Amino acid sequence: MNDPYDIRVLQPESISLSRGAGGVMQGVVDGKPYSELIVFRTFPFLYTTQYLSIRDAKGEELGIVADLEELDAESRDVLRQELRFRYFLPRVTRVDSVKQKTDLWIWELQTDLGPTRLAMRNLHDHMQFPGGSRIILTDLTGKRCEIQDWKKLDGHSRKQLNDVI
Amino acid sequence: MPTFEKLPEEIRQFVGSEPLLGVRADLLHDGQFGDQWLTVTESDVSVWLPDGSRVLRLTVETIDDARAVGGIGGGTLIADTQDGPVVILRYTASLASVFNYAAKLIGALAKGEERPAASKNDFPRLCPKCANPLPEDSQSCPICKNNKKVILRMLGYAKPYKPQMIGAAALLILTTLVELIPPYLTKVLLDDVLQPKTMGSTLLWVVVGLAVTSVVLSAMQTVRGLIGVWVGSRLMGDLRKDIYSSLMRLSLAFFDRRQTSQFIGRVNSDSEAMRQFMTDGIIWVAGESLRVVAIFAIMFNLDWRLTMLALLPVPVMIVVSMTVWPMIGRRWYQQWRSIFRLNVLVGDSLQGIRVVKAFGREGTEMGRYEDANREVVRHNIRIEGMWQGLFPLFSFVAGIGTLLIWYYGGWSVLRGEITIGVLMALITYLGMLLGPLQWVSQMINWASHALAAADRVFEIMDTPSEVPDSANPVPVGRVRGEVRFRNITYGYEKHHPVLKNVSLDVAAGEMIGLVGHSGAGKSTFINLICRFYDPDEGIITIDGTDLRTIAQTDLRSQIGVVLQETFLFDGTIAENIAYSKPDATPLEIMRAAKIANAHDFIVRLPDGYDTRVGERGHRLSGGEKQRVSIARAIIHDPRILILDEATASVDTETERQIQEAIARLVKGRTTFAIAHRLSTLRNADRLVVLDHGRIAEIGTHEELLAQEGVYFKLVEAQKELSKIKGVEG
Ligand SMILES: Nc1ncnc2c1ncn2[C@@H]1O[C@H](COP(=O)(O)OP(=O)(O)OP(=O)(O)O)[C@@H](O)[C@H]1O
Ligand SMILES: [Mg+2]
Repeated sequence: MNDPYDIRVLQPESISLSRGAGGVMQGVVDGKPYSELIVFRTFPFLYTTQYLSIRDAKGEELGIVADLEELDAESRDVLRQELRFRYFLPRVTRVDSVKQKTDLWIWELQTDLGPTRLAMRNLHDHMQFPGGSRIILTDLTGKRCEIQDWKKLDGHSRKQLNDVI
Repeated sequence: MPTFEKLPEEIRQFVGSEPLLGVRADLLHDGQFGDQWLTVTESDVSVWLPDGSRVLRLTVETIDDARAVGGIGGGTLIADTQDGPVVILRYTASLASVFNYAAKLIGALAKGEERPAASKNDFPRLCPKCANPLPEDSQSCPICKNNKKVILRMLGYAKPYKPQMIGAAALLILTTLVELIPPYLTKVLLDDVLQPKTMGSTLLWVVVGLAVTSVVLSAMQTVRGLIGVWVGSRLMGDLRKDIYSSLMRLSLAFFDRRQTSQFIGRVNSDSEAMRQFMTDGIIWVAGESLRVVAIFAIMFNLDWRLTMLALLPVPVMIVVSMTVWPMIGRRWYQQWRSIFRLNVLVGDSLQGIRVVKAFGREGTEMGRYEDANREVVRHNIRIEGMWQGLFPLFSFVAGIGTLLIWYYGGWSVLRGEITIGVLMALITYLGMLLGPLQWVSQMINWASHALAAADRVFEIMDTPSEVPDSANPVPVGRVRGEVRFRNITYGYEKHHPVLKNVSLDVAAGEMIGLVGHSGAGKSTFINLICRFYDPDEGIITIDGTDLRTIAQTDLRSQIGVVLQETFLFDGTIAENIAYSKPDATPLEIMRAAKIANAHDFIVRLPDGYDTRVGERGHRLSGGEKQRVSIARAIIHDPRILILDEATASVDTETERQIQEAIARLVKGRTTFAIAHRLSTLRNADRLVVLDHGRIAEIGTHEELLAQEGVYFKLVEAQKELSKIKGVEG
């Protein structure tokens, strides 16, 4: 039997995920079907597609998926999409401009989910550097965007960023 | 129909009957940014694209319930239908409150319940510019509006020192004018004395004149300097005081989101930058502008054509200044942020120095410091280096003007159009004129530094408290202590409620025991009674008066709290106990300590009640600190007593003694006690069991045991545990 005091790692063959008719993630874990499953990132900053906690609709943990890549193709796509939905963190592909208007810093960004705009009162409370060249931007309303590696952005973006980081 | 954005006509025409709700979502079905509209009518729930095409339609009959599932940075509105859950739409965090309401509405329709009324908070009016919620009944956004007049506001601090400032200004005008005399005297000396080689007596007078001006100059500069120092120090004191009192005024929520150690440096360094600008900066600018104007006048009088020539480089300097200004401002901010990170780091690791040592991580901490330090060095070089580059550039450009005068002026002298004296005077004046212009770069530096500092300072001052005192507080006098929670929902992060729809009536004088799992929301519950935070929904009343209408000082003077994290201030034990009642007599202090079972151990300390605790001095054990804070909570004879794990760190025997003493004290007082050790709560009139933010059970110990619910399980678990340990629970 499973040790309730240990982390359960789900073997890739014991989990299969699909998208239900209503658009909700569902699946079979250890042979048991669930009509709704929720995924949590355990390390949302460090490991975005690893160590994913799979939970039932009530929030009870069924187990941890060690690496999304190990799953079968359908489960992988469904899970990856679900992560995108649950962790709404657009990835910045280009920084159009960073401007300081009177007392607001306005960021015009292109992200993988479309263009957006962030407004910050200052930079020191709204930019996080979780390590490496990653930057997490949080705006006044709590909306967040992520720059995965600012050194890899194009020249224009880097120039915009140069004076703020 | 409640809306906060108007439903587009394209969609409206298809909806049919008047919709109950029509709101915009900011994400498409595939999670991309984009607009979709949700309409809810009596019969169906639909999602539309802005062009009027329908993406989804659910009839109300097929829906069992609806819920808004919060993700991170966004959420999903889900309908539970007979065929399983269906995603209605997705949205980003900014719209979460709207869809929380939508879920409630759809749920109520589906279940045929009474429809919830939309409250103002469900439909935030957002500022069009910064997309921040606007305050109720106000059109201007508090975040966007101010700060335009940072400089004016900063100067407001100089107002109380008007006479001194005027004095300094007058002296400034005088010194400026006096400074202009020597070159003129030199001219006289050259043209009228040295060249004609006559009038030896005039030579003496001219030299005496030069001597007098320099004596007067020195005297006036000294006086001005002294005034500057005096006003400056005062100004700085005022600024620091204001920043600090703004910090004290801010609500806990502000500090929850920030590392507190950052403010230590901010209070001092930011006020210093502002002071420097206001005293040195302003006086300097005023003085130099005046001087520039005066010199212009004189130079024009001496020879206007040469003057024009000499000024050719000036526009270049102005253009350069204008372009570098914003850059310097940003670099100052970068530099500030790197220092700020360094300060936070130092503050954190020193506060946790015991943990650092306990795990032997000094090396790691040094490494972290090293990294942050390197950043500071890098930014320092960047900004200082830029400045060092700019300064010679300015001197060079300014020097061109002088060269031009030497050349063309020299020709004029040779041709006999002007005298040597005029040429020398022009060159001296030009030097005096270009001097300040070269320093424009320094001024830019100062000003941008000060403006950035002022920005941050005013940001703190302008942040509204999240628990504002009402304008006309209701005087409550001495309360009886009847506390009532009405449908309270609260979350530290707005859309992640920690307490959900909690209602509780507590009679005056009742003792309530709060139990529940760790993280169930017990401390949050009492935080709301103390009004450290305001509930997101529902109201809390004391003696029937809304908590929000009671002045906070009034409220807190009736509440005694022992918080879960014991904190003692740097000061003596007596001062700590008397914190809430500074005029307490020694006897009162001892009485309170006695009740808290602290008297004996305190007296046995070599310094007794005068023992210093906190940062410096004698350190108390965990249980001793708790007992001191219990004494602090009861000394001002509060009507409502709150004990959050107040006796968790003391042994059972001491706890029993404290309990007995408190039991006597508690009579007639409303008491909220939180404890994991359930035996602590044996005196409670009623126990309230919190489970995941909801009240699961209410009743006496016996009643709850009989119910065999959550409480029963907790008790069983503890019995189990004490059996293992072989002690009574
Ligand atoms: N200042 C805060 N900011 C954000 N979240 C908080 C804050 N304080 C508490 N929480 C969260 O609120 C929830 C309830 O916390 P609370 O302190 O009320 O629990 P509790 O019942 O007192 O637990 P314990 O018995 O461990 O003291 C927890 O999930 C916690 O993470
Ligand atoms: Mg607690």
